[in-house]
Amino acid sequence: MKEDIERIVALYPPERRFALAAMQDMQRQFNYIPAEGLDALSAAMGIPIAQLYSMATFYRALSLKPKGRHIIKICDGTACHISGSEVLAAALHDAIGIRPGEVTEDGAFSLETVNCLGSCAVAPVMLIDDTHFGGVTPDRLAAIIEEVGAK
Amino acid sequence: MRSITITINGIECACRAGDFVKEVALAHGIAIPSLCHHSALPGQACCRLCIVEAGKPGKGKSVVTSCVFPAEAGLEVETDTEKIRRLRTNILELLLDRAPLGGGALAGFASEYGVTDPYTPEHPDEKCILCGLCVKACEKLGNSAISTMMRGIEKKVGTARDLPAEDCIGCAACAKVCPTGKIACTEAGGVRTIWEQEFALLPCPVCGKPHITGREYDWLKARFGADGDAGGTPFDAFDPRICPECRRRTSSAHAGTLPASP
Ligand code: SF4
Ligand code: FES
Repeated sequence: MKEDIERIVALYPPERRFALAAMQDMQRQFNYIPAEGLDALSAAMGIPIAQLYSMATFYRALSLKPKGRHIIKICDGTACHISGSEVLAAALHDAIGIRPGEVTEDGAFSLETVNCLGSCAVAPVMLIDDTHFGGVTPDRLAAIIEEVGAK
Repeated sequence: MRSITITINGIECACRAGDFVKEVALAHGIAIPSLCHHSALPGQACCRLCIVEAGKPGKGKSVVTSCVFPAEAGLEVETDTEKIRRLRTNILELLLDRAPLGGGALAGFASEYGVTDPYTPEHPDEKCILCGLCVKACEKLGNSAISTMMRGIEKKVGTARDLPAEDCIGCAACAKVCPTGKIACTEAGGVRTIWEQEFALLPCPVCGKPHITGREYDWLKARFGADGDAGGTPFDAFDPRICPECRRRTSSAHAGTLPASP
């Protein structure tokens, strides 16, 4: 982990404006941002650690705790909300036992809600990692989860 | 900058173009209620309590936040109309609902306007209105040991990881600027406790009363030790351990020895 952190930090000039990019790299690399990563970034870029935590806790795309291996995003934009995104979230809770913001115990899935995936025509929409699922109904859910979880 | 005149509550006020109306009013003895404004740390403009009616003659007036509204020649300002008082009452209700236990200036204005929270607060123990003054003070005067954390309804002011911050020098600038008394800061037996850390205080070399923390002194020395303060006074001659009262006394005694100003 230490080497990866050092490599990521070294990718950027020591300027404040690159902090977010380095944090995104860490998120991609580790599936979360380790405390050591922010400490290293703070030292290298001369940014107070409180300000880095402010950024890291502000952006939904960044997390301080490990996310699941697969990230499920349920769209809760207007169109999806009206077509039952909450029903989907409830069905997901029944299926894998987590609510938005949580990670399954085996670390396989984490669940998030997002505000719009830009696919309103096929609402309700769900995104697992990079794959879109449109017109999702609770009874299709089990098959989708099984398929993704097997990967 | 260009010198102009604006009118506040019928009083002619000389100022510079671009000065913030709230500051101009204050300089002319007119107090406008405010929470998130501090003369040395302007620009938050989030509490909205400093609203006034302002406009050019014949053009009608609109409601603006005086803490960031720039003065321009001929501007007419009313700070205490019925409309403004009504809006301020409403703003205070919302602020109190956000921070029911907020003390300090917030509690002061609430009682001045006779306002109580008409709603049911989400967080009955909250004191913070999230004005951001403390964060700005820490950035400008301290070491950026605190910042806003999280977002939306979870937003709060805190240290990294919610742990006692290594960066904190115990200067208490945050607690001093906070308009609601949210940031606890206590002093006893030569020790200041703030942000869940204890800081030993150094005695004022003149009167011996505890004044700044050892950590703040070391930090100032590391920053200004070589170059002195902005006015060119050497660090040791300025000596930040001297408490404000003694500083006033010594500098007024000192003033007698200075050549008379022209
Ligand atoms: S702690 Fe005080 S100064 Fe800081 S944001 Fe809250 S109310 Fe404002
Ligand atoms: S003092 Fe102007 S908005 Fe708070």
